[in-house]
Amino acid sequence: MGDAPERSGPYSEPMSEDALLTSLLAAVEANPDDVPLRVHVAEQLANQGRMTDALRHCTEAVTRSPGDPAALGLLRRLSGELAGPDRAAVPGSGPPTAPDAPAAAEPDTSDGSGMFDWTSAEDQVADLGGKAEAAPAQDPTGGSPTIEDIERPTVRLADVGGMAQVKERLELAFLGPMRNPSMAKAFGKSLSGGLLLYGPPGCGKTFLARAVAGELGASFYSVGIADVLDMWTGSSERNLAAIFRAARRNAPCVLFLDEIDALGQKRSRLQFNAAMRTTVNQLLYEMDSVDSDNEGVFVLAATNLPWDIDPALRRPGRFDRMLLVLPPDGPARRAILDYHLRDRPAGKLDLDKVVKATEHFSGADLAHLCTSAVERALAESMRDGRLHPLSTDRLLAALREVKPSTGPWFATARNVVTFANTDGTFDDLAAYLKKNRQL
Amino acid sequence: MSDAERAVERVAQLRQVRRYTEAERTARDALVGDPQDADLLLELSAVLLSLDRPAEGLAAAEAAAAAEPENERAHRLRGLHLSRLGRHPEAVRAGYQSVTLAPDEPYAALGYATVLRKSGRLADALATAQRAAELSPTLVDAHLILAEVHDALGHRAAARASYQEILRLEPDHAVARHDLAVQDLRGHRAGAALRGLLDAGALDPTIDVLVGNVGAVLWRVAYFLRLGMIGATVAVLASAGSGPAAVRVVTALVLLAAVGAGVVARRRLPSAAPSALVAALRAEVLLALSYLVLAAGFGIFVLVLVTGLGGLAVLNWAVAIVAMLLGVGANLVRRARRP
Repeated sequence: MGDAPERSGPYSEPMSEDALLTSLLAAVEANPDDVPLRVHVAEQLANQGRMTDALRHCTEAVTRSPGDPAALGLLRRLSGELAGPDRAAVPGSGPPTAPDAPAAAEPDTSDGSGMFDWTSAEDQVADLGGKAEAAPAQDPTGGSPTIEDIERPTVRLADVGGMAQVKERLELAFLGPMRNPSMAKAFGKSLSGGLLLYGPPGCGKTFLARAVAGELGASFYSVGIADVLDMWTGSSERNLAAIFRAARRNAPCVLFLDEIDALGQKRSRLQFNAAMRTTVNQLLYEMDSVDSDNEGVFVLAATNLPWDIDPALRRPGRFDRMLLVLPPDGPARRAILDYHLRDRPAGKLDLDKVVKATEHFSGADLAHLCTSAVERALAESMRDGRLHPLSTDRLLAALREVKPSTGPWFATARNVVTFANTDGTFDDLAAYLKKNRQL
Repeated sequence: MSDAERAVERVAQLRQVRRYTEAERTARDALVGDPQDADLLLELSAVLLSLDRPAEGLAAAEAAAAAEPENERAHRLRGLHLSRLGRHPEAVRAGYQSVTLAPDEPYAALGYATVLRKSGRLADALATAQRAAELSPTLVDAHLILAEVHDALGHRAAARASYQEILRLEPDHAVARHDLAVQDLRGHRAGAALRGLLDAGALDPTIDVLVGNVGAVLWRVAYFLRLGMIGATVAVLASAGSGPAAVRVVTALVLLAAVGAGVVARRRLPSAAPSALVAALRAEVLLALSYLVLAAGFGIFVLVLVTGLGGLAVLNWAVAIVAMLLGVGANLVRRARRP
């Protein structure tokens, strides 16, 4: 591969692979809508082992032209290779990965800390989730919108940088009993019921849910409000029932209900909204599993607004376990900063200083911080015509502009702990607020 | 059903589940294909009203009104956005146009009443709110605006009745519960007010004035404690002439009464009360200082009980004065902070 030099025009000199790629990338940038060109670039990148970049271009191509067979074929091949040797070895899934090609989903240990860059992984898995890694539907009826998004995540809890406390709680409260059912039974611990992840937005709840699926070796099935809510009376309930049916058929399966506060909001607020009330009732019914067995269906849900959820959903057998997912801790922040600062011209950076100064920042806030610092450096470089690399000072200066977006969430959380924690539901949150002197 | 109609339904649904950002995106995406669709423009305007972006919401409502000049909702939304922008005369005109176009539409009356109240025309707002409640007796928002207008006019009993009607229709209506608690506080029913605020907080912890209002309840209680302390000090000083035994008996009675009242209050209050009270004390330094001073007054009574020296109770005059000054200071601070 790549031996034969390609010409960009009749008079051009033969180019090395790098030069060719550079020129192709420039062409793609100039013509972002040129799908065949983009697919070609993705192929070249894949051939050079730059799987993440290849996947990005390929996804772009599919987004711009969803039915393009070349793009879809390449996407299938890339996702197979990214999913690891097991999937890559499936006959017909595309050529095997080159032995020296770095696996894109492997932990990034470049900083020497052994921490996985979970933001990068989340991005990659997010791409795989909806499009690339959609497993073939096993539903005999076929065509159901409810099962087409099933994926089999390869990420594990070990891939999550930092967040040791959350991982430990997850292991003790959910994964441990699932792995040791007889021991859990001996201690009277029920295996039924779901787990509710809650916390400020942008703090990795979805990624953690995927990691849980990875730990359990189960399929991951993410359901958003768009998959359930329907304008026709009765349709939302039918959608929900179909989703649970599909999950049961695909067991073992992690059924992840995102933004559960929308699907399961307090019925007391829905007195004059019969359609939404019945949707909540249906959710309760499916969680109880009166007619069907939820064996092998691990129901996980995430919300930024746990206080808006109908209390009936938190009763035993439903979402009786809650896990607070807080803004990334120090090691996780470092991993996120590493990821966002990769491939940027940077001098010697004291990331520990930045990590210390970014307490309560969400992943998105950290990305914003890096972008702001990069913009400053770029502006300065353009002003005097020489390269000013990113520095610790520039990152710290950007902190004056970027404030943590989790503030309003914690302001409400304070009220929740003060007024609505009589049953101890939010004790974890109370402890965190107390520890951080916010209560 | 056309694409635009489907999008309208979708936006309405997203608005219902309070996914405003997604609703806005859906509406704007759909408008690319049909930029003159009045229903889509109105859904977008309604979303922007919920997001409190009146300038953009007004533009959408005006575009809808231009496309369909006889559409009542377009003028209603125009009025509401104009009102938020402080352009009250125009808002009232738009509201009037809306009720003229649909005199039997409760939401038109509700919108017009809201606009009238904000423009300061309380008597007209009252009549319009009453009309909205007549048109749709189960429309909770009509009773809410009615209660607010009654309250603004000083009709406390009528306001209370409206809040109670809301709670009859929707027992978990946090705003009504909160506002009723504020009525209790104004009526010097501190215990009921605190219970109401705690209930409202449990129903909807996102109400941002909760802790501040719990603080207001504590200020009211501090006022009564101050009065009680002055009365008790007079009694102890009066008993000073009868010797240490009499002083001890009177002081013991005072302290017993204080402790007894505290125990009864604690038993009557919901379990969330301590954390709410602590939060309120932490939020206001002057309030916390005021209670520290009152605790010092209690300590002085204990000292009198131990020593039998009634004259020591004189110190409580100083305590009462400091507590009063702290109260005055807090009032000044609150007024200065008021927009």
